[in-house]
Amino acid sequence: MSSLALNRIDTPPADTERWVLPSGQSDEAVNRIVSAPLLQPHKWTWRAWWIAFAVSGAMTVMMIVSASWLLIRGVGVWGNNTTVVWGFGIANYVWWIGIGNAGTLISSMLLLMRQHWRASINRFAEAMTLFAASIAGLFPILHLGRPLYFYWLTPYPNTMLLWPQWRSALIWDFWAILSYLLFSIVFWYVGLIPDFATLRDRARSNLPRKVYGALALGWRGSARHWHFYEIYHKAMAALAVPLVVSLHSVVGLDFAASLMPGWAETIFPPYFVVGAMYSGFAMVVVLAALVRWGFRMQAIITVSHFDVMAKVMLMASIVMGLSYATEWFDAWYGGDHAERSLVTFMFTGSYAPIYFVMLFCNVLAPQAFWLPAVRRSVFAVFVIAVIINVGMWLERILIILNTLSHTHLPSMRHLFFPTIWDWTLLFGSLGFFTFMFLIFVRLVPSVSMHEVRHILHEGAQR
Amino acid sequence: MSSVTPKQKAAALSTVELDRRAALKLLASGMALSLASCGKPPEEIVPYVDQPERLVPGIPLKFATTLDMAGYGRGVIAISVEGRPIKVEGNPRHPASLGATDVFAEASVLTLYDPDRSKAPRGPKGIASWDAFGDALRTQMEKEKTRAGAGLRLVSGRITSPTLLRQIDGLLKQFPQARWYRYEPVSDDNERDGAIMAFGRPLTPLPRIGEAAVILSLNADFLGSGPHQIANGRAFASARKADAGAEQFLRLYVAEPVLSLTGANADHWLAIRPELIRNIALTVAATLRGEKANAPLPPEAEHFAAAAAADLKSKAGKAIVMAGRAQPAELHALCHTINNMLHAPVDLIEPVDPAGKHGEALHAFADDLSNSRIETLLILDANPAYDAPRELGFKAGFPKLPFSAHLGLYDDETAAICHWHLPLSHTLESWSDLRAFDGTASIVQPLIRPLYDTRSMHQVLALLGGALSPVSYDLVRETWQPRGGDDFDSWWRQVLHDGVIAQTRHAAVSAQPRTIAIKPAASPAESVLVLAPDPSIWDGRHANNAWLQECPKPLSKETWGNTLSVSSRDAQQLRCATGDVITLKYKDVSVEAVVRVTANQAGGAYATTLGYGRRKAGAIGDGAGFDVYPLRGIDEPWLMSGVTIAKTGKTRDIPTTQGQFRLEGETTQFLPRVSLAALAAGLKGPPFEEGPKPTLYPPVQNDDPYAWAMVIDTAACIGCNACLVACQAENNVPVVGPDQILRSRVMHWLRVDTYTDANGGIQGFQPVPCMHCEHAPCEPVCPVAASVHDREGLNVQVYNRCIGTRFCQSNCPYKVRRFNWFGYADDEEYANLGEPPIKAQHNPDVTVRGRGVMEKCTYCVQRISRARRNAEKENRTIKEGEVVTACQAACPTRAISFGNLKDARAHVNALRKEKRHYELLGHLGTRPRTTYLARLINPNPDFGEAKS
Repeated sequence: MSSLALNRIDTPPADTERWVLPSGQSDEAVNRIVSAPLLQPHKWTWRAWWIAFAVSGAMTVMMIVSASWLLIRGVGVWGNNTTVVWGFGIANYVWWIGIGNAGTLISSMLLLMRQHWRASINRFAEAMTLFAASIAGLFPILHLGRPLYFYWLTPYPNTMLLWPQWRSALIWDFWAILSYLLFSIVFWYVGLIPDFATLRDRARSNLPRKVYGALALGWRGSARHWHFYEIYHKAMAALAVPLVVSLHSVVGLDFAASLMPGWAETIFPPYFVVGAMYSGFAMVVVLAALVRWGFRMQAIITVSHFDVMAKVMLMASIVMGLSYATEWFDAWYGGDHAERSLVTFMFTGSYAPIYFVMLFCNVLAPQAFWLPAVRRSVFAVFVIAVIINVGMWLERILIILNTLSHTHLPSMRHLFFPTIWDWTLLFGSLGFFTFMFLIFVRLVPSVSMHEVRHILHEGAQR
Repeated sequence: MSSVTPKQKAAALSTVELDRRAALKLLASGMALSLASCGKPPEEIVPYVDQPERLVPGIPLKFATTLDMAGYGRGVIAISVEGRPIKVEGNPRHPASLGATDVFAEASVLTLYDPDRSKAPRGPKGIASWDAFGDALRTQMEKEKTRAGAGLRLVSGRITSPTLLRQIDGLLKQFPQARWYRYEPVSDDNERDGAIMAFGRPLTPLPRIGEAAVILSLNADFLGSGPHQIANGRAFASARKADAGAEQFLRLYVAEPVLSLTGANADHWLAIRPELIRNIALTVAATLRGEKANAPLPPEAEHFAAAAAADLKSKAGKAIVMAGRAQPAELHALCHTINNMLHAPVDLIEPVDPAGKHGEALHAFADDLSNSRIETLLILDANPAYDAPRELGFKAGFPKLPFSAHLGLYDDETAAICHWHLPLSHTLESWSDLRAFDGTASIVQPLIRPLYDTRSMHQVLALLGGALSPVSYDLVRETWQPRGGDDFDSWWRQVLHDGVIAQTRHAAVSAQPRTIAIKPAASPAESVLVLAPDPSIWDGRHANNAWLQECPKPLSKETWGNTLSVSSRDAQQLRCATGDVITLKYKDVSVEAVVRVTANQAGGAYATTLGYGRRKAGAIGDGAGFDVYPLRGIDEPWLMSGVTIAKTGKTRDIPTTQGQFRLEGETTQFLPRVSLAALAAGLKGPPFEEGPKPTLYPPVQNDDPYAWAMVIDTAACIGCNACLVACQAENNVPVVGPDQILRSRVMHWLRVDTYTDANGGIQGFQPVPCMHCEHAPCEPVCPVAASVHDREGLNVQVYNRCIGTRFCQSNCPYKVRRFNWFGYADDEEYANLGEPPIKAQHNPDVTVRGRGVMEKCTYCVQRISRARRNAEKENRTIKEGEVVTACQAACPTRAISFGNLKDARAHVNALRKEKRHYELLGHLGTRPRTTYLARLINPNPDFGEAKS
């Protein structure tokens, strides 16, 4: 833990050294550091991994049981009621899809902005995106009253000549998730091809060589390959940015395209995008700290990475705080009774304690990042990132609960009380995510070797 | 797969012992079965064996019949589909229905199909036959004959049926020493005694509320549940018509310990200890005489009494004072005197229920029991083991009885301790007759052959008299033969068709009340328990009806149980809160009760309702609520002075459908109340006079001849819930059960919202069905187009397209959509509601919804559809009044109007032009088709600040 806790470097390193420590400053050193757990697993202690694998496996089983019971008994096993018809299902979906945003943001937006430090973290961030988006995609289906008919959201040819209803934000949502998921898979896989080739070339036994060889699709690393790769990668990145922004804007429209106080706000799309980036970054930080510690990648994922990511989160927390304040101000300024009484309810109603915890997690706690010492303490950044993730989940559930519980007509105002099945599915999905991530780190290089090598050369050129 | 060869089969068969005797037995039983199944019905009855010409499958038939409410008749039109009665509606010709219904009438069809109804006689040795009972009874009656019936006792509830009375009379002549005890848990002894005090005979007062301009109710809940509710509600609403003018518009004063439905509709309401109510009456009487009152009252009450008295005096001839059933006889007598001074519009009639005092009957019964004078006891559709007062010593006296039989719908508490239990036919299964509260007689005709091996009360009484196979039909016809005259059959047909027998209403008699001197009451020191019948299950007899159990009580919105209401002042002193379980102790009996704190109650008075805590009601009624009958005495059925409360430290959740949140001043927006003066001056500002809201959508233009709309007059709504249960019956709305209600899940398509002021005082009721918005927020959000608009302006839900995203409900500002969280009607029904008999109640014109789909009010689209089919056959458009929604039909006060906006003469168009017209949440731009008329209030301008 000590290596995790305070890995401080007092003198500011040169540009290259800031992102890759001297011990990793050769192409082969990078390859060695990253591929070691994959190619020489027997030289590695896997105790922590096995424990994590067992725990997350058990949680995955819990998720399967919870989802099965949901499908058998009906969505009534959740705590939703006649007034609060949405609950954990939708909150989990929004939270997971938010986390799913960050990987693409890191790999594409930062790429386009020439933030080369992203090379050390983009691979597992993209994997995170993939897993989070897949899990997110499950929730809207599980949330349905009749999940077996989820495919009615697609415009498939049918004898009744019925198409989806295109004015519904849920249809936009369906397409947004689907296209994002497909895009993420392609983007992630193509980025992996050069690294699969590296692994193929360094594998000593037959099976990995064959498997990685097949996955590398005949990559030889010729200049022509690299040329096409670069064009492709930049183009995809350019596509990814509007896609990721639109994805979460559409999620925001699920709420904003309505008549309910607290939802029908034009600020929702940008506010959701920032929120998504915020929680995604926080999750990347959590995973970065774990990968770095677990695979001894201190040389490649440096304290400076945590430092910049903390700055991003600080910025995001300020934007979030401003968004909340805008909501309150608009409610007051708009003068609508329903909006005003909703804000009063947020601060004084039944969910007020949760609301204050949420404000602390999302707005107050990250203010610690103003201090360089906190930003450069991996442990502190890790803890605050976890807090942010909790806060962002609370935000998502409160958006639903506050508005729906405090509906227009007072007679139908009811509170939401989650059941055991709500909780098991939430924590089960966390376990499932961990489970998939653990498998990922054992089979696929968790850091993009070719991009880190690229940083080295860029640094050398300077 | 192992297969059985024919050879093996044959071998297996041959091992069955089939000797000659067994073969003959099988043959005989087979013949008997085939005879029984193909037999002609023993009497003329609606369901058919050969299809009659007039009966077309799919077209419901309507028959006039009568249902009983606490023994009084309430005329209804029963709707029968292929021989199954599925719904009842009011009979406009009947004075106790006037075309409307109440919750009990609406729910009666569910009781008919209740799987818990007893299906066969049960003898001392288990299930028996009617023949076995006949044999046992005959032996017993032989004994009784020898001693002129000295050991024979009949116990029943209120009986107004002329045929039954004739039969009982005959029986008592046959057995002169026999006795008939009649008691109702909801007795009217005080009323009766008061009349005897005032007039010397038990005359029943029938106030003509429709003619009144001022009413002072002294604890009289005349708008609450009961046989008079519909008639009183209609008259009350007609006396408060907006166009009546200030002079004629009824003003209602109510003084009572606990808020009642009447109190909730009052212009001036006073919470006062029940003992002190007589002082108000004394003050009024003194004021009318021009004397100074000598009855001490708290300052608030004094002010109330003075204002009411002055108002009554000024409107003499149009002013009525009423006393409630819990008030002592002297007060009733005093009210007769006051009404006489006021020349009040009150008719006096000879009692419709001829039996004497309920209390006396119970005393005599108790006396007989304790002195072992009873040999043969027949309990006719009564449940003394549950609802009789504690003095009766029922449990101790009963086992000693040599012969006891219980006739009833259910194998209930009383049945359990009787030797014999005999299943009674439901009112919808039997021939009978009943009288309404005003004496109007009508025939009860069956809509279906008895579902089980049941008999009617007529048949059992005839059996008692020695008849061998009595037929109710003949017995009833016999009673009316003298009246029908020569052409009896056509008279009979006419009577059955009309549902009333003309000129049977008891004529008003004139009587001059004596002046009774009564002493004012002193301020009481002890706490008092105030009991009342329950608005949902009355005295407990409806406890096993799931619709009624789940029907939210009008004021507290509780379901599936009762609570002990405690005033907020007392709650503070006792340090108890809503949901606390306390022990209620009176004399040596204690009962555990759940507290509900309310602002609308006099300090020192606790209140609860009868009928709960049933032990053997059935799968639905058992265990719901707590039983307060053990606290009751024969002579103190309503008020128990000296009760104490002790906390137990336990708490219990109360399943309510509204009330988790306090109102935040929304009442003026959502349920505006306007006074007559304000109405005359014109109504300004929201929610009135709101102009059209900007919209991006072009106006809907179509040449369809229909645009359906509903207008609900909140001024007329008394909050009785009839619409809610009618909707449930018509639209196959499932019951969800108390656990689901506790999780805030309800299915009622139509709810009645209750609005309160800042202090918790009830401001009025607002029935909320679907608004059928022209710009419906639910429609654009549905991803699969399950929520769509039709050309006639209905917002329709396509159940089989719905995938259950619930986006529609989350975006519905009115929250009128209902989601099937479980298969409430789809194999996951509450308790025994999934059993086959219940399915027979379902309306075949309405889809039964499955799990995971959204549903909601359809404006009874099946009724629109039927009217359209009829109109199209005749090549015309649907006429005004041809479509009547279930809620509209049920409403006693005609608060709900429905019609076609494209028809210029439609009533809804006129209502939409009224000054009081407003849209609920109209500022959202939803353009609802269901709109409202504001509540009208008529406070006394001289009262000072109106308190209600």
